[in-house]
Amino acid sequence: MTENEQVKLIRTACPAHCGIDCCGILAHVKGNRIVKLEPADFPDERDRRICLRGLVSLDITYHPDRIKYPMKRIGERGEGKFERISWEEAYGIIVTNFKEISEKYGWKSIGWVLGGPGAGTTKFGAYLRLASLTQSTRVSAWGYGDAGLPCGSRVIFGHQFPYLYLFGEFWQRKYPELLMIWGTNPAESMPLQNMRKVLDAKEYGTQVIVVDPRFTVTASKADEYIGLKPGTDSALALGIMNVIFQNNLHDKEFILEHTNGAYLVRIDSGKMLRGKDVDAKKPEAYMVWHESSNFHKALSRTSVKEASLTGTYMINGIECKPVIQVLMDLASEYTPEKTAEITGVNKDLIVKLGKRIATAETVRFLTHMGFTRTYHGDISLRGLISVAAITGNVTTSVNSGHVPGILNWSPFLKAIPGKPSFHRIGILNLYEAVISSNPYPIKALWFAFINFLNQCANANKIIEEFYPKLEFIVQTELFLTPSARYADLILPVCSFLEFSDFLAQPYPYVQLQQKVIEPLYESKSDANIVAELAEHLGFGEYFKGGEEGLIDLIMASRSFEGITRETLKTQARKLPTLPEGASFPLSFGTPSGKIELYAEQLYEDGEALPVYLPPIEAPITPGENKYPLTLVNGHSRFRTHSMFANVKSLLDLNPEPIVDINPIDAETRNISNNDIVTVFNDRARTTLKARISESVQPGILDITEGWWIEQFKEGSLNHLTHDIINPVQDKVYEPNMHMNDVAVEVEKK
Amino acid sequence: MSKSKRLGMIVDQERCIGCEACSVACRIENNSKDFWIKVETQGTSVKDTPVGKFPDLTLNFLPRLCNHCENPPCVDSCPEDALQKRNDGIVILDQDLCTGCKACLDACPYNIIVFDENNHLAEKCNLCAHRVDKGLEPFCVLCCEGQALHFGDLYDPESNVTKILSKDNVFQLKPDEGTNPSIYYIRPKPKRRL
Repeated sequence: MTENEQVKLIRTACPAHCGIDCCGILAHVKGNRIVKLEPADFPDERDRRICLRGLVSLDITYHPDRIKYPMKRIGERGEGKFERISWEEAYGIIVTNFKEISEKYGWKSIGWVLGGPGAGTTKFGAYLRLASLTQSTRVSAWGYGDAGLPCGSRVIFGHQFPYLYLFGEFWQRKYPELLMIWGTNPAESMPLQNMRKVLDAKEYGTQVIVVDPRFTVTASKADEYIGLKPGTDSALALGIMNVIFQNNLHDKEFILEHTNGAYLVRIDSGKMLRGKDVDAKKPEAYMVWHESSNFHKALSRTSVKEASLTGTYMINGIECKPVIQVLMDLASEYTPEKTAEITGVNKDLIVKLGKRIATAETVRFLTHMGFTRTYHGDISLRGLISVAAITGNVTTSVNSGHVPGILNWSPFLKAIPGKPSFHRIGILNLYEAVISSNPYPIKALWFAFINFLNQCANANKIIEEFYPKLEFIVQTELFLTPSARYADLILPVCSFLEFSDFLAQPYPYVQLQQKVIEPLYESKSDANIVAELAEHLGFGEYFKGGEEGLIDLIMASRSFEGITRETLKTQARKLPTLPEGASFPLSFGTPSGKIELYAEQLYEDGEALPVYLPPIEAPITPGENKYPLTLVNGHSRFRTHSMFANVKSLLDLNPEPIVDINPIDAETRNISNNDIVTVFNDRARTTLKARISESVQPGILDITEGWWIEQFKEGSLNHLTHDIINPVQDKVYEPNMHMNDVAVEVEKK
Repeated sequence: MSKSKRLGMIVDQERCIGCEACSVACRIENNSKDFWIKVETQGTSVKDTPVGKFPDLTLNFLPRLCNHCENPPCVDSCPEDALQKRNDGIVILDQDLCTGCKACLDACPYNIIVFDENNHLAEKCNLCAHRVDKGLEPFCVLCCEGQALHFGDLYDPESNVTKILSKDNVFQLKPDEGTNPSIYYIRPKPKRRL
């Protein structure tokens, strides 16, 4: 390579970070080698950014340990012994196995375990399309930590995500008077799209409150830090609501218009009072108590305006209360004293917080999935949203800015209109499907962009009971990860700089993850692997044009009118803006079409209200569990889940797994900084270095997630976690793994 | 000798999230083995841990780099003239002239010059002089996640950095040394408690 050789600049985008940050990247290419990455321009220069992981992406692309060609297992599963084969041989093995297994158990028994594609769309879509065509099983990976949030959001908002309702305006740089950051640590997990705006908001004058069991970097930036015990968020929410109700500070107008707060609940059955219960004209109509006529009325746009929010009413001999009264009754149990006892938060602080939220002009709630990773984490989110709703701090329509993009998912979710598509199973339900054929047998699994063994709960169960039941395992990977070691066949995939994809992120942009160099070695993109496999299975016509064809297909949506693959090669494009004066209502997909502070369908489960239910395992009350400490797992800025754990340039700064221990817990166990300790419970023993830190309160241990199993001296983080299913989450959407709800003890090695 | 410029930097601790992207960016840009920017956690030797008792805690980061001093002791200490104060204020270390005598390491009150054990030469931040000469900002400034780093000419009354200096409560490291660093820091803002 000569000094004069011309440097080509190619704009691409990093899809790694769960789709939120999605930094534009400008790659400098000399010949066929990328020599440098830097943050690419954005139409708004404030959005130009990169994170420390994005900066070292070349260390992934040019990593010496990359898997270079297809390999088939020659040793025992887990042993890591493989031999090189050709792509044609690999496809041959797959087709033979799929044929045999589908003849024996049906295509349903073949599952595609698709992990976090980041902001990637077609690499995910390609698998869905093939799963749809073959009517095999799509294993949804929401449940490996991310299902709690949609479970809660679906119940109360009727929507998968709560973001637009709670802080969409924040993404438009409209900063509130008060910002509640609850259950998320954007400083490490979403530093650019979220944290940078938190800092901007503070500069603008926003007061920032952080609610988190750990004193995180985000917490360090807060004006007030609320350090509660893990899994007690809904108790705190009820305590806050109690303060608001006691002081009569709730926003009655908003509650009447946008929530089911005025709807009458039958105290005998826990169901909503309906027209049929009182012989009204419309049998299914919800009923309200009409104040001026002092009589019940069917819900209508006019009747609700004068509906009562409080009181107890006998209607046709049925005792009824408006939802808000039922919620008040529950909240009244959560006095500041009791809330303080459960959550560990100072009682005066709870009172101040409740009053501040209720009296601030605007409050936005920046939240994500951290606090939803406890057994009742879905209710924690409902508690937070209930606080937002009773104070009128839920956004109900977008009145300016860019319309969120809608991808053309239908040809991926249903490849042939009118024909059945794939079956779907949650990743936590997959354990039972594989181990006990419940609800049906799964015999072959294809893992893509997922480090399953490393990142899913109860590793010993996976190794001892799960893997042995599988007849065939395929993994597409860049590295021989702890999971790839258990595959029968490993297919080499490209790093993000070696293939193209469409990224509808970060708001308000869309970007092209543009191929910068040709795939290294014999690697291919997931989309191209699927396209070639489809050809072998007789579905080639659905994947014409490979990854670029799929990009054009997913972009075929009105959202992206005027934006093409070609125009995205040089710059990110903004989504279309709302016309002047137009507004975009954010509807609620709940049964009532309103924010459901009360969900009657969960009455039998005892979860109609955002109740506080203690964690399933985390020993919140001392002495109630034989393992007295709660293990949580924060996210580290040095990794995106288990990605980057093997990158030397970052290991130089952060060389090995550590467990954070509060000085009080350390002292009673005679543990000092840098001691080697073992964290243990009935499931496993995990040995690693200790760090004494006040960032965790007494009773809590924190091991950041994502370290690979072999980086621990013994065990690993997910050897300690459990795979208990929350049946309500299973019913509502998909059960979540509860990695922040784990009981352990620690001892000096 | 009058200097035409005094290029320097302001580090806003309020916006620093301690991510170390500056350290990583610097090492990539300068192809160095060591980190020339070190992000310290203030008040403790245990990195990334807060000071105080739960929940009354503080956690502040202090990215440290060559201070490009107005009166740089390292320049005076170097017997080979490998260290020079440029007219624009950058203190530059020319490795071609360095013999690895380590005099500058002893002279620097900030302990920020590093010694590369592989080639036995001293090395340090040159404020990305190679970029600055092309009209670009130092790479760490471009890559700062929190936008906590501000670069500019401290002599220019219209520059972004001069404007910040005039309104914020800034400090320099070890002012008693009389070096007059060109790297300034803004303290975190006081908390607005509930």
